[in-house]
Amino acid sequence: MDMVLQQIINGLTLGIIYALVAVGYSLVFGILRLINFSHGSVYAFGAHISMLFIGFNFGLVPAITASVVITGLLGVFIDKTGLEPLRKKKSKGISALITTIGISYIIQNLLMIVFGSQTKFFPKLFDYGNFTVAGTVVGIRQIVIFAIALLLLAVLTFVVNHTKVGLAMKAIEQNQKAAHLMGINVNSVITFTFFLGGSSAAIAGTLIAGYYQMVYPVMGFMVGLKAFAAAVLGGIGILYGSIIGGLFIGLSETFAATYLGGSYRDAIAFLILIIVLLFKPSGLFGKKTITKV
Amino acid sequence: MRNTLGVFSRVRLFIDSRRAIMLPVAIAVLLVLPLIIQSQYILRIMVMIGVYSVLALSLNLVTGYTGQVSLGHAAFYAIGAYTSALLSTKLGLNFFVTAPLAAVFAGICGLMLGLPTLRLTGSYLSITTMGFCEVVRMVLLNWESLTNGPLGIQKIPKPMFFGTPLNLANRGLYYLMLAMVGITAYCIHAIVRSNTGRALTAIRDDELAATMMGVRAMRHKVLAFVVSAFFSGLAGAFYAHMINYIDPNTFTFDTSIVILSIVIMGGMGTMTGPFLGSVLLISFPEILRFMAEYRFVVYGAILVIMMRFRPQGFLGGQQLTSYRLPKHVVRPVSGREN
Amino acid sequence: MKGKKVLLAFALIGGAVFSSFAGGASDGKEIKIAVAAPMTGDFAEYGIGFKNAVQLMADDWNAKGGLLGKQIKVIVYDDKNNGEEGATVAEKIVSDKGIVAVIGHFASGVCLAAAPKYQESGVPEISPSASHPKYSEVGDYIFRNNTVISIESAAGVNIALNTLQAKNIGILSVKTDWGTSTAGITKKIVADKGGKVVAHEELVDGTVDFAPAISKMQAAGVDCVIVVAMYNVLAPFASQYKAVNPAIKLVGFSNAYSEQLIALAKDSAEGIHFPAAFFHSGDDPQVRKFVDSYKAKYNTTPSSLTAQAYDSAGIIFESIKAVGKADRKALRDYLYKIQYPGVTGMTSFNSIGDAQKVFNTVTIKGGKFVLVK
Repeated sequence: MDMVLQQIINGLTLGIIYALVAVGYSLVFGILRLINFSHGSVYAFGAHISMLFIGFNFGLVPAITASVVITGLLGVFIDKTGLEPLRKKKSKGISALITTIGISYIIQNLLMIVFGSQTKFFPKLFDYGNFTVAGTVVGIRQIVIFAIALLLLAVLTFVVNHTKVGLAMKAIEQNQKAAHLMGINVNSVITFTFFLGGSSAAIAGTLIAGYYQMVYPVMGFMVGLKAFAAAVLGGIGILYGSIIGGLFIGLSETFAATYLGGSYRDAIAFLILIIVLLFKPSGLFGKKTITKV
Repeated sequence: MRNTLGVFSRVRLFIDSRRAIMLPVAIAVLLVLPLIIQSQYILRIMVMIGVYSVLALSLNLVTGYTGQVSLGHAAFYAIGAYTSALLSTKLGLNFFVTAPLAAVFAGICGLMLGLPTLRLTGSYLSITTMGFCEVVRMVLLNWESLTNGPLGIQKIPKPMFFGTPLNLANRGLYYLMLAMVGITAYCIHAIVRSNTGRALTAIRDDELAATMMGVRAMRHKVLAFVVSAFFSGLAGAFYAHMINYIDPNTFTFDTSIVILSIVIMGGMGTMTGPFLGSVLLISFPEILRFMAEYRFVVYGAILVIMMRFRPQGFLGGQQLTSYRLPKHVVRPVSGREN
Repeated sequence: MKGKKVLLAFALIGGAVFSSFAGGASDGKEIKIAVAAPMTGDFAEYGIGFKNAVQLMADDWNAKGGLLGKQIKVIVYDDKNNGEEGATVAEKIVSDKGIVAVIGHFASGVCLAAAPKYQESGVPEISPSASHPKYSEVGDYIFRNNTVISIESAAGVNIALNTLQAKNIGILSVKTDWGTSTAGITKKIVADKGGKVVAHEELVDGTVDFAPAISKMQAAGVDCVIVVAMYNVLAPFASQYKAVNPAIKLVGFSNAYSEQLIALAKDSAEGIHFPAAFFHSGDDPQVRKFVDSYKAKYNTTPSSLTAQAYDSAGIIFESIKAVGKADRKALRDYLYKIQYPGVTGMTSFNSIGDAQKVFNTVTIKGGKFVLVK
């Protein structure tokens, strides 16, 4: 029983991190019906920039804020250079997906070239020790990460549900043309969405880098894929779905690692993804959409 | 019309309209080449171009002609390689027996993957195929009793042709590659020119409309997928016997991306596109070895730039020569070519 | 008309391209050796380390008048840590008749893909890092200047059981050819010596989250973990384990012996023990000179794999000098006879081409590697 409880704590911590990254996928998919494959590499970029600025001795908070802004701008840049021209040309959806795959390769490999491919040190962000409850060891830093992630998710949900921009986002989600006709500046809102996606990726990247104390260029690949699985599981486009999906994937992965062996943990996320796509593509909380011909 | 064509279209028109001479000339050149070229290194590159051409041709069938973007073709490549390697190392069978068996098994896997997943469209299908590719890699890594896990399979024998091993030195491997490329190109061309091929292009252009015109979309999609998996598996078997050692790390997502880049760059939905793409994307890294660090940046940039400026690839696009009706179709009486 | 011009252009470009492939003919004034390793991509740091080490040794010799009166030239090839690339590079190397030997590759999988080519064409190959048990058996031209895992595992187990007095041993291994084989051998050795392995966790190389593995080991009562992985796994594992149980003892392997380990793990690296054939802060003047000149030239401290590459180059040069000519076959024959006093200890090759090494125990104290007497 102890082991199960312990692994639940481990799984939830891992899961909230996936949730944070999954939210980025949901935001972009919701508004553009596009799977932004480059999200994983943007996450890695955010972590690297944080590391860079902390290395310049800017101080923790300014460094992270700078990273959040810069990474948000990277998100905007990706949209403006890669995706917006495709939207103007009314290309097929698959072109955008392939473009985002290309962008993820470019960013990831540029990180390798600029920063070097070896793993680098990232300072410990929260070091307050552990406490033991009911036979399980809980690290204070696990709780801190959980709290920060939840806070961020709450902020994002607030932005989406209670602000004008959020309202605009939901309107565009439902019918882009009508939203445009109602006076919403569609391109601005899309830009804002990408900025939000990029910044949340930066925060996620920094948190995880601080938790494991490591930064390396390919860190976005696996996390990106698993977060994508989480977003799909919860119902892509739905924020709270991504959170639940993330926690679920984190728990499954941890239990798979415990009871099946460490080498199976990555496969679990993919299996869940395939199963969800086969049986309920709209996810746990998604609604089936009807396309009219 | 000729004056308004761009450079690429002119090249395409040139190649397509002189098809009757271009093809035999190209084949003759390829047959004679190994007798002139002394460097085994260059021959090796040409053989790899051939292998990737087969992979690109098979992916092209699914992506270029049917419009289903598959990101997981490295999985079938891997399955073909491992099957052939295991059959020949554990049962001692010859390449010419194991390779077709491996291809068939890859095709069966294509069937098993295709049936449930080809219901999905667009991005969802692509991501599922990607997930499948990773799952296959995990299986290869973890099922140690069968695949040796991370240790890989060693000492895979070279193909034996009536007692002589075929390798680069006696040019045997090169001709075997040509044979493989030839068979693949012929089969895929036959499919493309048939009713099925037209059905596939109809599905690519507008699946809903095609279905309403009576095309059984699911059936055709699965067929394309299975054939594609078959030939990818064949390429995998060839690769295994050429390099004589494989391990799970040989077949990763990166490989799928290289194959996709070749198809996209060369020209989706054409027969010559995959060849051009392979030649460019396999030989250029050799020539530009000093730029090796940027290799994947270049692949990524190719994907982005091609999607933006020429999504149909260099040689892709509408057919520019007059359409020739298949032989058994009755021609219209008025003599107009249609 | 335009079509013909285009065709002509392609032909010319093609001709130019192909002629650039013409392999360098044997140059009477130089002795060439090749270094083949990943220079780009995930593992570039190791390949670049090999290149630097070999170049350092070559520069040393060249400064002293060269080898047999000729200057040594190091030609570098990037195998991108990929088997297919490795085989292509091998093809390129063997077609250059001026290259006497090759030092490489890095990853066992790539070594195994490339070695048959070197064996077939009779080019001696020394790998400073291959770990696959069957690597040297590929042929008599294939040599390994890396520890044989059975001997190093025994040294590691010895440290765990005797130096650290461990009772319940846990093993953490990566799922690579080296990791899996070594873990198997280590388990057997522990059992042979009367110890107990109470937990064995396997994971994919590149994992950063060890929480499940750590929880399991804690529950099993592990007091010492033998980590069969390189520093990219050992460092975060040490940090995470010590956050949960600061008293845990850790034993690593020599390929994790690198400054990067301390840079990543910081305080958590204290007390990690290794069997090491190479110890960079020792009193040995030869080692001192190597480490100092490496640091001066490349700004980093050499790791044990880098040192093995350095020795491999030295072994090749010494052998060529002893044989009196830059001949591949003569070189190979001599490699079986040589006894080379290198920075990784006295090195010689046994009948299948594996290096025999002697191990010391090294640990980390105060953020530095120190020898344990």
